[in-house]
Amino acid sequence: MTALLDSVLAGLALGAVYALVALGFVVVFKASGVLNFAHGSLLLFGGYLVAVLHDDLGFAGALALAVVATAALAGALDRLLLQRGDPDPRAAHVQTIVTIGVDIVLLTDLSRRIGGDLLSLGDPWGDSVTRLGPVTVADSRIAAIVVSALAIGAVFALFRFTSWGLALRAAAEDTEAAALMGVRLTRVRTLAWCLAGALAALAAVFLASFPAPGLERTTGQIALKAFPAAILGGLASPPGALAGSLLIGLTEALAAGYQSELHVLGEGFGDVVPYAVMVAVLLVRPTGLFGAKGVARV
Amino acid sequence: MNRTHHRHRAPSAVLATALAVLLATATGCSSKADGAGGSTGADGVKSGPGVTEKTIRLGALTDLTGPYATLGKSIVQAQQMWADETNADGGICGRDVEIVVKDHGYDVQKAVTAYADLSPDVVALPQVIGSPVVAALLDDIERDHLLTFPQAWAASLLGKDSVQVMGTTYDVDMIAAVDFLTRKQGLAKGDTIGHVYFEGDYGANALEGSTWAAQKAGVKVVGQKIKATDTDLSAQVSALRKAGVKAVLISAGPAQTASLVGVAASRGLRVPVVSSAPGFAPQLMKTPAAPALAAMLHVVSAAPAVSSDVPGVQRMVAAYGKKYPDSPVDSGVLSGYNAAQLLGGDLKKACADGSLAREDVVKAHRATKNADTGLGSPQDFSDVSRPAALATYVLKPDAKAAGGLVGVEDAHEAPGVSEYLASRG
Repeated sequence: MTALLDSVLAGLALGAVYALVALGFVVVFKASGVLNFAHGSLLLFGGYLVAVLHDDLGFAGALALAVVATAALAGALDRLLLQRGDPDPRAAHVQTIVTIGVDIVLLTDLSRRIGGDLLSLGDPWGDSVTRLGPVTVADSRIAAIVVSALAIGAVFALFRFTSWGLALRAAAEDTEAAALMGVRLTRVRTLAWCLAGALAALAAVFLASFPAPGLERTTGQIALKAFPAAILGGLASPPGALAGSLLIGLTEALAAGYQSELHVLGEGFGDVVPYAVMVAVLLVRPTGLFGAKGVARV
Repeated sequence: MNRTHHRHRAPSAVLATALAVLLATATGCSSKADGAGGSTGADGVKSGPGVTEKTIRLGALTDLTGPYATLGKSIVQAQQMWADETNADGGICGRDVEIVVKDHGYDVQKAVTAYADLSPDVVALPQVIGSPVVAALLDDIERDHLLTFPQAWAASLLGKDSVQVMGTTYDVDMIAAVDFLTRKQGLAKGDTIGHVYFEGDYGANALEGSTWAAQKAGVKVVGQKIKATDTDLSAQVSALRKAGVKAVLISAGPAQTASLVGVAASRGLRVPVVSSAPGFAPQLMKTPAAPALAAMLHVVSAAPAVSSDVPGVQRMVAAYGKKYPDSPVDSGVLSGYNAAQLLGGDLKKACADGSLAREDVVKAHRATKNADTGLGSPQDFSDVSRPAALATYVLKPDAKAAGGLVGVEDAHEAPGVSEYLASRG
């Protein structure tokens, strides 16, 4: 029972961090129809800034600066590179491919700087843990759950209650109509990219803090695990991203925790699970858990 | 239309000529190198590719920009230091030693290209980083008779005439680890141990050793396979605790070791952990897991700690610190320097036998039964199917020591290792 609780808690914490990443994918996709393959290296960029700045600015200062800088970088990427291309929404595929290139450039430079190091982010939680009855949870994981809940709540509120959120939803529904109604598409879009960048920097902190040993050059690759989460939730649905992330986090933790019982499926099944779950969900619901059914006029 | 054709033709003719010239020079170059093959110099020593009257050229396929950049830099610097020392001493066979370094960034394709580029002009490779790289080049290396010292220790690399794994292989290390646990850490018959390991050759070979030793000791092994991108081992620790393990072996990277030990300590799973040599790096002692590592971890290695009082090691560490004051001294420095010294010994022997041709360097190497560079256990290269050494050290982390490790037990062959090798055939 303790083992089950252990795995469930670890899974929830993991899912909460994935949700921050998956939400970034979703916000960008909703606003621009682009699948942002550079999200992982944006995440690494944010984490790297925290790592190099926390000595001088303190953890909070470094994190604040990293969030702003990563948001700015993501916004600039959209405004200066992607939006210059064909404004036709169907050109989103081209822009998606551009993000692959950006990812390679960013990742190469950051890997060169990080090299083989393990960078500490100087977070205040260290390796302290809290006992909850029979199980212990790392404080950094509790912080991850709390911060993720707050950040995700804030994003939902932005979507629902601000004019930007309304404009974004309108633009996602029908770009042309939204533009005709006076929605400034470029600004709505760039703001969405900034938001995704900020979320990525935040996620970096929790991906690199205890129980992980620190920021590595491969930390950005973990973002790829949030990819199936975003897709199985329905790529344009923020609640879907949240549900998908929790589902992926839980299954991953349980699969690793019960690896010996799942022996028949082969060892290391935990790594495959996010994708297995994604495929299973898409088989039953091809548009994802919360994905809207596309209506095509014939 | 016609005109454009004509216009195109002129530059393409120039291009063709240029290409022809380039080709001629290129083949000229390589034929010079090949032409030297089999020729005998004024000193009566037969030479081959990579050897001229004045120089012996060696090659290094390393990673200076990828995941093992820190390791690559350590080895490159250590081997350059060896080359400088050797040249100051009059060189080898009256020739200066020169090391050509190629960076592949841990990319197999780049490494294959770099090998093709490098191999015609060198006599041996004192450094190749990366198990997948070595695996991809294995056949080429054998064909070219290019004596190679890989920075990888999987038993699958044994049995090749031209490839020399230094010291012990991963399976032998893990047999020693199980032995250490039963002797010193109270592991008894009927207990269960965990083994967390990387997918691929490294982990598989280590697991082979631990499984064999555990069966001999009447101990059950619970395996947990992980990937290099797994850096939060909470779920694995939960599973190990559920299995009631009395000790844990880990054959992964430094990040995974830190997470495993840190999480286990925080969850109250305070059991001894023994890691394969690549699972530790001095940087770990700066992470939040440092106290737990100092309390729970041991490392099994064929090489002594950099901080050990072996005179050869101390001399090398002092010289390295003087030459590269800003670089940390880690196990890569030791293993790189050791490889270079071993190769130096082979070259001297080959020279004394009258030939620096590649296959004769390999022959000289394989005739060496007791190579002692003063940097750890002596090694026997005469049997290609057996690890070069069977003795292992037990080390433990210490934040204050050079290289982050101090010695616990001196080199010795764990009981059962010879039996294991015989059983494997």
